[in-house]
Amino acid sequence: MHYQTEAWGAYMAPRTAGTDPLERVERLAAENAVVIFSISSCCMCHAVKRLFCGMGVNPTVYELDEDPRGKEMEKALVRLLGSSQAVPAVFIGGKLIGPMDRVMASHINGSLVPLLKEAGALWL
Amino acid sequence: MASNNNTRRISEVGLSDSEPSTQHLVYGVLHGISPPSSNFIDQHGSTAYDFGELEEALIPKVLQNDGDRKPLLGIHPPPTLEIFPSWPVRYQPTPRAHSHQSGESTTDSGSAQNTGSQLEPESPVSSSQKSQPNRRSSDPSLHQKQERSDMAPAPSDSTAHHHNQSKTLVDKRGASSSTERVGSKTLDAKTLRRLAQNREAAKKSRLRKKAYVQQLESSKIKLTQLEQDLQRARAQGLFIAGAGGGSNVSSGAAIFDMEHARWIEENQRHMAELRAGLNAHLPDTDLRLILDGCLGHYDEIFRLKGIAAKADVFHVFSGLWLTPAERCFLWMGGFKPSELLKILVPQLEPLTEQQFIGICNLQQSSQQAEEALSQGLEALHQSLADTVVGGGSLGDPPNHHVTNYMAHMAIALARLANLESFVRQADNLRQQTLHQLRRILTVRQAVRCFLAIGEYYSRLRALSSLWASRPRE
Repeated sequence: MHYQTEAWGAYMAPRTAGTDPLERVERLAAENAVVIFSISSCCMCHAVKRLFCGMGVNPTVYELDEDPRGKEMEKALVRLLGSSQAVPAVFIGGKLIGPMDRVMASHINGSLVPLLKEAGALWL
Repeated sequence: MASNNNTRRISEVGLSDSEPSTQHLVYGVLHGISPPSSNFIDQHGSTAYDFGELEEALIPKVLQNDGDRKPLLGIHPPPTLEIFPSWPVRYQPTPRAHSHQSGESTTDSGSAQNTGSQLEPESPVSSSQKSQPNRRSSDPSLHQKQERSDMAPAPSDSTAHHHNQSKTLVDKRGASSSTERVGSKTLDAKTLRRLAQNREAAKKSRLRKKAYVQQLESSKIKLTQLEQDLQRARAQGLFIAGAGGGSNVSSGAAIFDMEHARWIEENQRHMAELRAGLNAHLPDTDLRLILDGCLGHYDEIFRLKGIAAKADVFHVFSGLWLTPAERCFLWMGGFKPSELLKILVPQLEPLTEQQFIGICNLQQSSQQAEEALSQGLEALHQSLADTVVGGGSLGDPPNHHVTNYMAHMAIALARLANLESFVRQADNLRQQTLHQLRRILTVRQAVRCFLAIGEYYSRLRALSSLWASRPRE
């Protein structure tokens, strides 16, 4: 896989202890150009990861089922997204893009690539 | 209202939620139990009552009436028994020795008990006429309203002493009864048993009513669904004999097939309108309107597909609603956007350079999205296969590892359910592609584009018909 699965290395630092899950989500989202919150067994999450890799982007992926505080973060994402599906949740340049359908819609209408370039995830 | 309340309290123990709140309240008062009254409280936002003293006052009434009282529909029901206003209550006037007594305590005593003579057969609660002349109503709903309105002001007395409460209730009723009678506070075993019996009976009655109401509601829903199905079927000149709830899945597919057929007809109409508009050299503003209608019609089929996918994902995913020639090109429950674009581009020329770049980008992004979805689906295949195999070695007989097998089947079911989200994303992709196409092109180009799409699928359907009727050797 081309995306970073070692993202947890940064997370393991003690400074993350005790933060509100939503805050944590947003902080993690801001740390990299493209951040995807995912669940390792979710096939749609796999699809969104493949989408970015196919475009030559290197997303930072957080697998919530492999995080001890993943459940809370899942709930926070559900509230943030306003849907029952917490994952996949895509952030670009720290900003929430949304679930899969929003990502695809923005790719089709041509707004995804400029966002990626702006965030420094794509160079052309 | 007081006497009505009392009456109800005694007789309508544990009433269902659909009953006027007073009944809950009554029950709660009588038994010093808050749950029923809390229902009422929830419904009406009133504060809790302190009915302890009220209950004590009710005891004598209970004792009086217990002998006659049958839990629900007694043949010889005391006036207090009006659990369900809608249920016919045969009331026989029974003047009671205590009626006068209870008449005094207008609020708390089961006025109905006392004023049996004035009770009307169908009226749920005919409280003592003495105390609540206005209570009498042969109309159950009206009666309920009365009760409710009576109860409504009551909350203000939440902390009121029993006395005060009675008085208030009496005042509200405009009853003439003066003093309330505070009965003896003895709670002997017999009373307790009777109270318990009352409680039991009322609870049963409440549960029965709940079940009945639920049955009615589900039947109503079924009925409206059947009517809708029938309407659709008639519109298509078919008749679908809908089975019960069990055949919901297959009827979802059948309904979608019908809706799709109707959609195609409607689409032909849109196409004809577009063509006529183009030939008539209508101004762009007019053409744009027709075009928007056409695009909106495409949105409609995606919406219908979404509903159908929820009802029967395999029907949609496997393209069973398409003709064979269309199904040839099936990708995730429909057409493949990049393929369609490839067909369309030559039809759209001449394009400006910007438009051409836009179309190329659209082609590329749709291809990337399709690829991503396909890979996601592949992952689904893999995990599904793994789960099914994981249920036990394929070499063993099926019942060899039963528990393991069933557990894995359950997981496999969950994985299968993900198919619906893939179909949804694929339809989303199709819809977005059509809209983006509309944005890139000028009005006239877009008209020609959508005409081309319509013509293409029309020919595929014609091909399917020809195929079906081809001579076999």
